[in-house]
Amino acid sequence: MFTDESLDALGVESLWRKSQQFAQESRGCQTRPVHTAEAEIQPLLNADNGTQTDPQDHLIYQLPPKGELRPESPGLRDFLHRVEDMVLKELASNAKSHAFDGFDVNWEDQNETVSCIHCLQHPSAQEKGLQVTSISWSCTGSVIACAFGRVDDGDWSTEKSCVCTWNLDRRGLNPKRPDMIIDVARPVMSLSFHPSQPSLIAGGLYSGEVVVWDTNRTQDLILAQTGMSTDTHREPVYQVAWVPGPRRGEMVVLSAGSGGRVLLWTVDSDEGRLVLSAGFALIRQQVPHNSALSKNRGSSNVGVTSLALSPWDLDTFLVGSESGLVLKCSFSAQTLAAAPPDGESVTLRAPAQFSFSPRGGPVHSLHCSPFHRNLFVSVGTDGLAHLHSLLQPDPLLSLRVSDSYVFGVRWSPTRPLLFAAATGQGLVQIFDLGRKSLRPAATLDQLTGGQPVYCLEFNPRRKDLLAVGNADGSVNIWHLSTELTEQGPRETAKLEQLANEVAE
Amino acid sequence: MAEVEETLKRIQGQKGVQGIIIVNAEGIPIKTTLDNSSTVQYAGLIHQLVMKARTTVRDIDPQNDLTFLRVRSKKNEIMIAPDKDYFLIVIQNPSD
Repeated sequence: MFTDESLDALGVESLWRKSQQFAQESRGCQTRPVHTAEAEIQPLLNADNGTQTDPQDHLIYQLPPKGELRPESPGLRDFLHRVEDMVLKELASNAKSHAFDGFDVNWEDQNETVSCIHCLQHPSAQEKGLQVTSISWSCTGSVIACAFGRVDDGDWSTEKSCVCTWNLDRRGLNPKRPDMIIDVARPVMSLSFHPSQPSLIAGGLYSGEVVVWDTNRTQDLILAQTGMSTDTHREPVYQVAWVPGPRRGEMVVLSAGSGGRVLLWTVDSDEGRLVLSAGFALIRQQVPHNSALSKNRGSSNVGVTSLALSPWDLDTFLVGSESGLVLKCSFSAQTLAAAPPDGESVTLRAPAQFSFSPRGGPVHSLHCSPFHRNLFVSVGTDGLAHLHSLLQPDPLLSLRVSDSYVFGVRWSPTRPLLFAAATGQGLVQIFDLGRKSLRPAATLDQLTGGQPVYCLEFNPRRKDLLAVGNADGSVNIWHLSTELTEQGPRETAKLEQLANEVAE
Repeated sequence: MAEVEETLKRIQGQKGVQGIIIVNAEGIPIKTTLDNSSTVQYAGLIHQLVMKARTTVRDIDPQNDLTFLRVRSKKNEIMIAPDKDYFLIVIQNPSD
């Protein structure tokens, strides 16, 4: 009946379970073989170094205070220790000492008197009755040039005149015969030697032309001239001067005339011409306000009769006019002049910046003090010399020079308190501001029989020579006494005091 | 250095002192209260003067030596204190 039987197992596959074994891939990589190299070094020398700062109080030297560039010198402190007491003692006792009061030493021969050493004349000019209008010393101080012309002639003059030079240092000086005579077709009204080249002379003529002569030449002495062009002055040129030009070392000629024009000319020696480089026109309406002027009628130009350059400030110049105005002007003024353009090649500018109190007549001469930057002296036909400060309109001091006109004034180049004035009576009055009295320290009579003295100049090199030009055509060279040329001990201080006084 | 400056200030404060220059043994100015050009001028000229004065004194008597030099002029007085390494130059106007 029952038998053993084995049956095959029956399997049912799972429908929802999968095989857990995923696909597997194997990869491998390897870099190319790496190159290696080995090297060895070993230094031959060994050195050891270390630094350390010192603590503050161990420092012997400290940094020098700001402004000192040089390192402190060793031993200076000890040296000063040693000498300080002695020096202080000496300084104190010197300040109190009277040992040298009134002690004066004579190094040179004292010249007590003033004497006229030369009387230079040009006979042919004197015969024509020409007057000396302007004189100028050369920069070396040995040559004096004088210009002949007429000052008293109101009419247009076509007279021939000349410029004569004398060399005072030459042996065999003949006062009656000039070393050089330059003939000029018109009267020469002003003259000026070049400040560094002793052979150049600039001159302004009555016709308005400006000429530069070169005395080195043998033939035609005219180096450059303006000619009669639209640029030149139309009226007589009363002042010429050399001023530094725009380039270093170059000098240009400044000319000022009664047409109210102040012009600057550059010297073009190749062409022989003076080329106008800048110009100023003084118009009455543009003068800084001064109530007395507006009542005047007449030409609107302010005629220039004198001009002074300031040795302290190259930009400032002073102008004295025919109507008595004294103006402070500037070379760098930019305002345009209100003059109608007259064919000039440069635009004219109005230079006036400040107007001083006006005088009663034409201002014939102005001069800035070489010892004080603010002082100048002016003279005119009212016979007075006014000492002005540039800072205020009213004069600091008024001195009566003479009863007639005063034509020239110059400060002494050696004594700060001294100036000389040339009068219309033939006298040169020398004033010393250090004296208590207002009377002149010295009077030089030109022995011209009362004819006026028109110009005077101190010699820039030899401090004791004064040249004076007279209306009779002669030039007198005066040798001044030591009192008038030696500077006293406190003169600059007294001048400073004068300048600081304020006029009431 | 503060001490040096103080000493110079004390000297400068004396009546009438216009300037102080310290010059070293070679004649080169190392401290000054004046402007550059004046300093150089004074230093050069005074150095020569002091050397000349010193040789004059020692030629007359070799045991003697220069201790102080004063140059009095119309306008001012120059006082020079010489030493081995330095000179002290003081310019004074006693009437100021």
